[in-house]
Amino acid sequence: MRTYELMYIVDPRVPDEEVTALTEDVKGLLTAKGGQVVREEQWGRRKLAYPINKLKEGKYTLFYLAGEPGELSIDEVEFRMRQNDNILRYLTVRTDEDYKRAGMPLPTEAPPVEETDDEDAPAASGGGEEEE
Amino acid sequence: MARGRRVFFRRRKVCKFCADKINYVDYKDVKLLQGFVPERAKILPSRISGTCARHQRILQRAIKRARHVALLPFVTD
Repeated sequence: MRTYELMYIVDPRVPDEEVTALTEDVKGLLTAKGGQVVREEQWGRRKLAYPINKLKEGKYTLFYLAGEPGELSIDEVEFRMRQNDNILRYLTVRTDEDYKRAGMPLPTEAPPVEETDDEDAPAASGGGEEEE
Repeated sequence: MARGRRVFFRRRKVCKFCADKINYVDYKDVKLLQGFVPERAKILPSRISGTCARHQRILQRAIKRARHVALLPFVTD
């Protein structure tokens, strides 16, 4: 079992409903490509450390994934991300080996303690927690 | 009269990650990473921070990932 993290930044001009729709799309795609979404985080609108396409903010989405080698095709997912002009950036990181080396547990449904505990309000985290 | 006696007591630097037994640095942990990218947003050399080679590598990778997704800047001016 391999685990991954997939993060992408959506154009902030895209309304929230569309971001949600896009999230569902990506999730569907991931599932279709043999992946399993372990956890999903919406960071909401966040200031970018440097402008991308002259934009200063972006809407962040983060997925924790799991999949078997040979079944989950990250390549195809990344290909689709590149096609989408609303996605400014994406980053896929394989984490299982690093976690194992560090003796850390693999990510589960429950978000880490300090983050939002209420799973029913995924977009709620966006406003409050990030200062700066 | 002591002639040119300059005795520096340089405190031995200890790798922060070894001390804290951290073996994975998350690129999302901006607060942690920011401590290793001073003003100009360059990566702080291990010679200054005292980070051991292994952890410097892990740290470096995390910083570069964070930069890609605009959590950290490449440059500041």
